[in-house]
Amino acid sequence: MTRGAILFAFNSPKFDYYSMAEYAAKRINHFLDLPVTLVTDEKSTMSSTGYKFDKVVKVEPNLDNKRDGVPWINKGRCQAYALSPYDETLLLDVDYVVNSNRLLKTFETGIDFACHDNTAYFMQPKLSQEVLSTYSYKTLWATVIAFRKTDRAKQIFECLEMVQNNYAHYANIHSFISAVYRNDYALTLALRIANGHTYLPGDIIPWNLLHVGKNTTVYKDNTDPLDTEYTILFDNWQRGKIRKEYIKIKDIDFHIMNKENFVELMQNG
Amino acid sequence: MDTKTLLADAKARFSHNSAKQYLKEKYDSKLTVAEQGGLWKADRETITLLDSFESDKLVVMDTFNNPVQVDRKELLAKLKTVYEQTMNDWLKEWTELEGKR
Repeated sequence: MTRGAILFAFNSPKFDYYSMAEYAAKRINHFLDLPVTLVTDEKSTMSSTGYKFDKVVKVEPNLDNKRDGVPWINKGRCQAYALSPYDETLLLDVDYVVNSNRLLKTFETGIDFACHDNTAYFMQPKLSQEVLSTYSYKTLWATVIAFRKTDRAKQIFECLEMVQNNYAHYANIHSFISAVYRNDYALTLALRIANGHTYLPGDIIPWNLLHVGKNTTVYKDNTDPLDTEYTILFDNWQRGKIRKEYIKIKDIDFHIMNKENFVELMQNG
Repeated sequence: MDTKTLLADAKARFSHNSAKQYLKEKYDSKLTVAEQGGLWKADRETITLLDSFESDKLVVMDTFNNPVQVDRKELLAKLKTVYEQTMNDWLKEWTELEGKR
């Protein structure tokens, strides 16, 4: 039984996703003791600093998704099943910061497929869960997906491809904006369809996905690249004034939504 | 700039509520245990339930809402160990955080 992680990284005019993938892979190697396969394109590999991935799969990037006027190459996650060389795979966003071995627990549950359906934001505990639209489903998150090579997992990824190819149609049905393709939304729909429009608790990772969200910045407490202690600083707006608040965290995985902050974090260690 | 200077310059205050929330997120997930073909949470409710029976075998609903027949004593021992370890770590970090602010 082989086990590993797979990352997707395609550089955009704004961000060097290949370097982010190298940063993420080193942490996955260290904290999860897993090999990492990277799915990327020829152009992005120019950013390589020499880190050796377990395997590099070069594909043609799908350039038809744009965010803030620049290409955002996030289509193709549906290929993870076919491209993963492992029996058990963790599919992670490159801006997910691994600081513990917690994700290994997803393999212990004996499931075919698992993702997060609940999120929590550092410093903002009252934020509600995201929904596709007012009358639609609660959003599932494609940031962390664990899957096994089984027929059922294959079906889910095939369904994900089908939703990706017909995204505007599903956006119309579920009343969300289709201009920017989001893997989270496609996954939400694909998993529901694959499960006969039912909710299966076994497909859900039994803890919250932790986000570093708006007005929140993460700082490393020292320059050791594998250190796991951080300071989280939050601009708490109250009656038109900012009150700065902070906490210290350690040994906990999180997802940084602000890419600029993630780049700063990489550069500081 | 080191974070100590940053916090001092920003006149930032330690947020007790957010720290408590972070610790809850961190240690709640550590209470999750995969054992005997089911997924369990080493919490007060499950431990009390297991402890309140005397039979060797017991059918219990796991966190995925699947009924699983378990070796009661074995599962109870495992959950108690995880609970005790996790709560001790939780208290230790909470005490450290309170001291750092």
